[in-house]
Amino acid sequence: MMALAFVLSPLLILALGALLLMLAEALTPKQNRAAGLALGATIVFVAGFAFSVGAWLYGVEDVAERELLAPWLVIDRFTIFFDGLFCLGGALAALLAGGYLREHGLERGEFYGLLIFSTIGGMMVAAAGDALMVFIGLETMSIGAYALTAFRRTSPRSAEGALKYFLLGSFAAAILLYGFALLYGATGHTDLVGIGNAIRAGGQHQTMILVALVLVLVGLVFKVSAVPFHMWAPDAYEGAPTPATTYMAAVVKCGAFAMLLRVLLTCFSDQGLMSWAAGWPPVLAWIAVLTMTVANLIAGQQESVKRMLAYSSIAHAGYLLVGVVATIHSMGTATASVLFYLLTYTVSTAGAFGALILCGRKGAEAVSYEDLAGIGRRHPAAALAFSLFLVSLAGIPPTAGFFGKWFIFRAAIDAGFYALTIIAFFNSVIAAYYYLRVLVFMYMREPAAGAPIATPMRSGYVATALVVSAILVIALGVVPSLPLDVAVEASEKTFAAPGG
Amino acid sequence: MIPVEHYVALSALLFTVGGVGFLVRRNVLVTLMSLEIMLNAVNLALVAFNRQATHVGAHTGQIFAFFIIAAEAAEVAVGLAIVISLFRIRRTVRSDEADLLKN
Repeated sequence: MMALAFVLSPLLILALGALLLMLAEALTPKQNRAAGLALGATIVFVAGFAFSVGAWLYGVEDVAERELLAPWLVIDRFTIFFDGLFCLGGALAALLAGGYLREHGLERGEFYGLLIFSTIGGMMVAAAGDALMVFIGLETMSIGAYALTAFRRTSPRSAEGALKYFLLGSFAAAILLYGFALLYGATGHTDLVGIGNAIRAGGQHQTMILVALVLVLVGLVFKVSAVPFHMWAPDAYEGAPTPATTYMAAVVKCGAFAMLLRVLLTCFSDQGLMSWAAGWPPVLAWIAVLTMTVANLIAGQQESVKRMLAYSSIAHAGYLLVGVVATIHSMGTATASVLFYLLTYTVSTAGAFGALILCGRKGAEAVSYEDLAGIGRRHPAAALAFSLFLVSLAGIPPTAGFFGKWFIFRAAIDAGFYALTIIAFFNSVIAAYYYLRVLVFMYMREPAAGAPIATPMRSGYVATALVVSAILVIALGVVPSLPLDVAVEASEKTFAAPGG
Repeated sequence: MIPVEHYVALSALLFTVGGVGFLVRRNVLVTLMSLEIMLNAVNLALVAFNRQATHVGAHTGQIFAFFIIAAEAAEVAVGLAIVISLFRIRRTVRSDEADLLKN
């Protein structure tokens, strides 16, 4: 039993931590509550991360009690990898919230409780071995994210972003569920492995399975915010308080990809449905091309840096889908490239949103390119951090983003998708334009006469988050081998043998 | 006994009605109702499939439906809170009048 508790510990620690934090919020006096809660949430996430590492080193393969949770929760290396990744993203979001909420007078303790519970939902999604658990985890994660988006109660933008996020998110969940219901009807199973085996065995319900596949794909693609199902993402990202945006861009997106990989590679991995001639890979390839191209073109036209980062996050979903399509050739290696990309993307995007937070003050949040004009000369540290994260998002060496793209492209080339790789490459060149435009404004422009001059806020929390992200971005860019080995192990032990 | 196909046909019809309602109606409360219809279509399909001969004795579909009902209640609670918060600020529950965010 101890071994089971240990491999489940990241989830258990977060659950316990969230309950304790809510208790602490109710019992402490109001004036010194605020700062402590952000610290507490960060400690919970760091503990979750530490236990993920511990569970990884301990190994999950020999823990026989895992069977007790089957088929509801599957505790494997893939799950543990995502546990750690979510804790990292959650910790960065909690640190950013610690500075942001105080500066903008939004300090209410619920934020951290929602943040942690929503992350638990993400962990459930990554571990889900049954359609029911996928749904419960997804709802736990999404409901928390809806509430976080609406957190700024006096702002019409926050409410509007949350409304759009909520409506389209629930719509996507309903479509996904109808797909699962049809799969249940066709195969008699709700556990993903059972569905996969029944589909592989063939049967008389081929049409129903195909309809179900379409519905499930639409639901999944909605959740990873790929074009043409991306409409909610820019509005939700822009309307939400920036730490909530960070959380959505990092943790919720990684959770959606964990779900996509788990469902597609477990349920729909038979020869017929996972082939280039028929099935989901060509569909996802077209969606990837559309996503990258449309998102990058629209991102280039934005006036708001926050909205540009939202479109950039959509474009990154496109690159990630290229890696997902490449799983058709070698499931283990291509999945590893997706996992590694998710790691580099999490630290880069959390850092970029963090730097945007740092550049704003109460009543003068940095939003547009103009707001950032001249920051390079007056506040070199803030501008340097922002530049580093944007360079990483653009995929320029020696940063994390470069190796993320490198491994995805290599997986696509190995799978023989030359055209797809070339399109992805040209898209990252287009993307560099709008990332570097921020640098141009920061270092080469001066604010227009009379325009308010952005002054960075002072917060130990935000500074810590930025330093941690910056170290990770550089470390992943200089020595990517260790995290890559971890990603390879996480995917090969889980997905290497089709149908295993 | 009414064959399963009839239930599934009804469920597909309900799902379509809900989906179309979601896409064309602009009143957020009606949109929420459409979502409910879609999820009830899912519940109906799950319960109907549970009756199929191969699943006699297993109740996965029915249990699944209960979980959907519970999760849905939580979701609508948050959804209505968001609608109320929007109404307080903008005095409207129409989704086409919530148009501050665009590029």
